[in-house]
Amino acid sequence: MTPELGHFAILSAFCFSLVQALAPLWGRHRPFYVQVSTRAAFLQFVCLLFAMLSLIACFLWNDMTVIYVRDHSHTSLPLLYRIGAAWGGHEGSLLLWCLILAGWTNAFVFSSPRALSRSFYQRIVMVLGGLSGGFILFLLATSNPFWQEVSQEPMVGADLTPVLQDPGLLFHPPMLYLGYVGFAIPFAFAMAALMEKKFDPTWAKACRPWIMLPWSFLSLGIVLGSWWAYRELGWGGWWFWDPVENASLLPWLSATALLHSLMVSEKRGVFKGWTILLALITFALSLIGTFLVRSGVLVSVHAFANDPARGLFLLGYLTVIIGGGFFYYGCRIQYFYRAPMFQLVSREMLLLINSVILLVAVATILLGTLYPILLDAFDAGKLSVGEPYFNTVFLPMVLLLFLLMGFAPHVHWRQQSIQAVWRHTGMSFLFSIAMGLALPYVCGFPFKGLASVGAALSSWIIVATLQYAYRHASLKHAAMIVAHLGIAVLALGVTFSKSYSEERQVKLQPGESVLLAGYEFKWITVGEIKKVNYNTIMAVFSVKKRHWPIGYLAAEERIYTSHAQVLSKPGILANPMRDLYVALGSPLEGHSWSVRLYYKPLVRWIWAGGFLLLLGGMLSCLHYVVTRQGVKHA
Amino acid sequence: MLNKAYVVLPLVLFLMIVILLGRGLTLHPSEIPSPLINQPAPVFELPQLLRKTMTTQNDFLGHVTLVNVWATWCYACSLEHPFLMALAHAHSVMIYGLDYKDNPYQAREWLKEHGNPYDKIAVDETGNVAIDWGVYGTPETFILDKKGRIRYKQIGAITPESWQRDMQPVVEQLQQE
Repeated sequence: MTPELGHFAILSAFCFSLVQALAPLWGRHRPFYVQVSTRAAFLQFVCLLFAMLSLIACFLWNDMTVIYVRDHSHTSLPLLYRIGAAWGGHEGSLLLWCLILAGWTNAFVFSSPRALSRSFYQRIVMVLGGLSGGFILFLLATSNPFWQEVSQEPMVGADLTPVLQDPGLLFHPPMLYLGYVGFAIPFAFAMAALMEKKFDPTWAKACRPWIMLPWSFLSLGIVLGSWWAYRELGWGGWWFWDPVENASLLPWLSATALLHSLMVSEKRGVFKGWTILLALITFALSLIGTFLVRSGVLVSVHAFANDPARGLFLLGYLTVIIGGGFFYYGCRIQYFYRAPMFQLVSREMLLLINSVILLVAVATILLGTLYPILLDAFDAGKLSVGEPYFNTVFLPMVLLLFLLMGFAPHVHWRQQSIQAVWRHTGMSFLFSIAMGLALPYVCGFPFKGLASVGAALSSWIIVATLQYAYRHASLKHAAMIVAHLGIAVLALGVTFSKSYSEERQVKLQPGESVLLAGYEFKWITVGEIKKVNYNTIMAVFSVKKRHWPIGYLAAEERIYTSHAQVLSKPGILANPMRDLYVALGSPLEGHSWSVRLYYKPLVRWIWAGGFLLLLGGMLSCLHYVVTRQGVKHA
Repeated sequence: MLNKAYVVLPLVLFLMIVILLGRGLTLHPSEIPSPLINQPAPVFELPQLLRKTMTTQNDFLGHVTLVNVWATWCYACSLEHPFLMALAHAHSVMIYGLDYKDNPYQAREWLKEHGNPYDKIAVDETGNVAIDWGVYGTPETFILDKKGRIRYKQIGAITPESWQRDMQPVVEQLQQE
């Protein structure tokens, strides 16, 4: 019964989404019809929530007649992962997509920004209704999670892919989707602005939290994903330039550009067309990302089922929504044009350069990601574009961006002389260059170009930002300060772990020890442990530095019984300054194994930086809420 | 004033990406052609699962052969198995098995339970021979001609559809040669 109810709930949600999109048109924007539209949005959310809960219930009760449950669960799967499995596959994750879109819509409806005029507000709700309707139709037509198939044989299920059996599954996809899908709201804002031919500071102010929130969630989602890959895949890396990782990075980069451009529009009333365009591009990249992940056009570690019908439908949706958006933008953009009024050295100029660099970065990553399709389409052979390309093209742009990042807060709007900027920041700049040369030395590392540049730029951002913070300590600026510091921390972690990581692959047997980066790893013992749905071979290592014991770590080789799939679970001994990481390879003759050991300095700083970005985003929203309440009481 | 090109540029770029993605849908990125196609089968010598003698690449000479890489721990192999059984009953082609990274005892038990479609089974406990054959995972099936050259490679389970569409024509053509 549950699957039927869930199916019915999705159908009802589709009807409500149509009401939400069409009621204001029908009623020529009379208040009653607007209310019908917002109520429909709420009911749509309730239906989708009900559908999601039904799906989770099917998993909890092991309802193996549901094809989706049969393919992604197993009677022996632990309870927590049975819940997570509800969005561990294609169909369920699309249902989550729809649910989160409805959630964002309702969050917007309930926050009811008073600054927005009623017509603006209802247009936004309308656009969101249309977006949602299209996606629910996609769900119903090609990827219904409640499709059933009755079979004679008793079934235990095909089980969830072992890589997904990790606490990361519970948080990483929902966080990413909160980000991805959330960019539908800025998109709706942009479309509403185009319809109204109007874009004023109140619009920009009302829009900001709806960019900031998804941006924060996406930052956290990317960080969680990277941390998961690091812990789970046993390759010792935290970013692989995998197509799916790129798909999440692209909207993040363009949303970062959007945040900065929106600020200029809000404060100075310029870059309006640019801001609208960036809002469209950000959502376009979210949808292209969804397409890349869901259609199977690219080979990736996140391989999902490849069904051409799904790809075709998504592509059609993408073309209608985003193509329509860009077309409308082309028709209406002349209403937003304003001659620029700023000099070469001004904050506007720096933020424009910021947007341009970020967009160029988006273009190069998109090109690298799509290049295999491009070559294949012209029959020029199959290849994959890997890390060397991305590092080579991405790094210089990022370094330039970091250089400007320190200056930007100290440059005034409209115009300023270079001398004045230098008076404020010159000392810090020179200090940072010195830090870049000194920091690796102080930490006891040999000189390396990348590490020195990284250290110099990080300390430059930190010092310049703190200098600004000292002069402008307020909640208003706290978000920017924390987020910029987050970027600096992240940059330091990336460059140091890249430059000074050490790794060894050795043949080892219990009782033997091996030396890496001054640490002595001794394999103490090995044992086999039976768990609910896997057996694991666990190897325990003791770690010493200069004969001082530091701790123990346990690397595992798990064999999932229902899949007969082997998963290497690395043992990690972490502190803020370095990670020690041991992964079991495969058994060799006798008792020996191939073992990979890594020493990764400052790798935790990468994720710490990501959390600071999240904190920055949250502070910005807090500031919005506080000032909004202030206005209400006045 | 606004440049016209600037106005239409986003739409044009976007449509180009859409066309590319649409073209991408008709391609199959994970099908990498095997470099072994039209090459003689790699040299090997392995014990047989059910007999005491060894088997080598010379066993492929003189007839068209299917070489099916399988294992008892492989879920997809158990799905493919009924079709292999049906194929064996039709006697249209020799079917050899390569038991990949498996326990021979378990493999024998498994065949007793599910039936044995293979004419000969080589046991590759370490997986070294499979590496020479360029095996990514199980199941994979090679079609060899009468001279023992690899002529076709199927990645993943054989289904009745994939057999009729892709593999049967190859087998029939090779039998004419």
